[in-house]
Amino acid sequence: MKRTLLIPLLLAAGVAIAPRAIAHGTQIEYRTTQALEIQASYDTGKPMADAQVVVYAPDNPAEPWLTGTTDEQGRFVFTPDPSMPGQWDVQVRQAGHGDIVSIPLGEPVAEATGAAAGEEVAAAEPVAMVSDSVSGSTALDPLQKAVMAGAVIWGFVGTALFFSARKK
Amino acid sequence: MHIPDGILPAQVCVAGYAIAAPVAWYSLRRINKLPDPSADIPKASLLTAAFFVASSISIPIPPASIHLVFNGLLGAVLGYYAFPAILIGLFFQAVILGHGGLTTLGVDAVMMGVPALIAYQVFKLRHPLARRIRPRLADGFCGFLAGAVGIAIATLIFCSLVITNIPSGFDSATERTAIYGLSLAHIPLALIEGVFTAMLVLFLQQVKPELLQDSPRRSQRRREEVERV
Repeated sequence: MKRTLLIPLLLAAGVAIAPRAIAHGTQIEYRTTQALEIQASYDTGKPMADAQVVVYAPDNPAEPWLTGTTDEQGRFVFTPDPSMPGQWDVQVRQAGHGDIVSIPLGEPVAEATGAAAGEEVAAAEPVAMVSDSVSGSTALDPLQKAVMAGAVIWGFVGTALFFSARKK
Repeated sequence: MHIPDGILPAQVCVAGYAIAAPVAWYSLRRINKLPDPSADIPKASLLTAAFFVASSISIPIPPASIHLVFNGLLGAVLGYYAFPAILIGLFFQAVILGHGGLTTLGVDAVMMGVPALIAYQVFKLRHPLARRIRPRLADGFCGFLAGAVGIAIATLIFCSLVITNIPSGFDSATERTAIYGLSLAHIPLALIEGVFTAMLVLFLQQVKPELLQDSPRRSQRRREEVERV
């Protein structure tokens, strides 16, 4: 009876030891870094899904530093190298439509936000809007745009009225 | 359809302006030679407003979402007025709506304005065609063709410009398929604009035929004037 109990116990011990013997001592380190999330959408509001993204580092604006594609929501997240402060240019392009946005990264290591829980934590603070052709700097709300467009249309109609009145 | 800033290299933008300027000059010269150059300005001005608004009207054609252009329509109805009208319309689209850009204004003007002038020539074919088939049918058919040709040629120019100018950082195969997809979506748009142009032309022909440039009546009148002199 004692012997029959002992054999499974020995086996169990062997199994328990075995994985420890195979493992090479993994180690997970983490640090908080600053990630940039960009959101690209057309001016109709439709996100630019699966659009190509090219990131240019400040030190070399000619060579792509990183390439990738946006997800279905038109989002793209990347972690810029904190040792390279300056203008990070992100270009999004799909079928001849797209834009380039310049993201200034001032201090080499910005204060980390959010809970540290993994190797990389997306701070996702600087969200840049990139759209069909509205560049990030000219952000007008729809009402302003509508009023401006209305003024332009009235200008055309007024020109038409002016010239048709002169004819008579 | 509009090419925004930062997509094309500087040389192409300069070339666009270099082509657009003489075409604009030629169009204005042709307008100046008309008996009354300001006679058609009300019509041109109203259609410029329509062109300006058209780009904000988007039509969802999967997988892309495209917008109306109306360059063929402007060409058919306005003749040589179409090019300056499109140039002005594009300028306001770039500044107010953010469609296109100021650096690519020349390229965009060539891309949409030159097909408009071609559409005008296509629309003029209705005079010889009217001798063979019913004039109303000829007007409608040439109107449709003009509207469709305007957008089709513009799409071809857009496609070739964008495909030949893919920056090195981008995967050109993926980008090319995306461009082809967008171009294919313009085939239904060409049909829509063709039908719209045909409807407008037939409507004008019925209600106010003198609004259509080089309509038989006007050229006849001009011929009579010449004979009288």
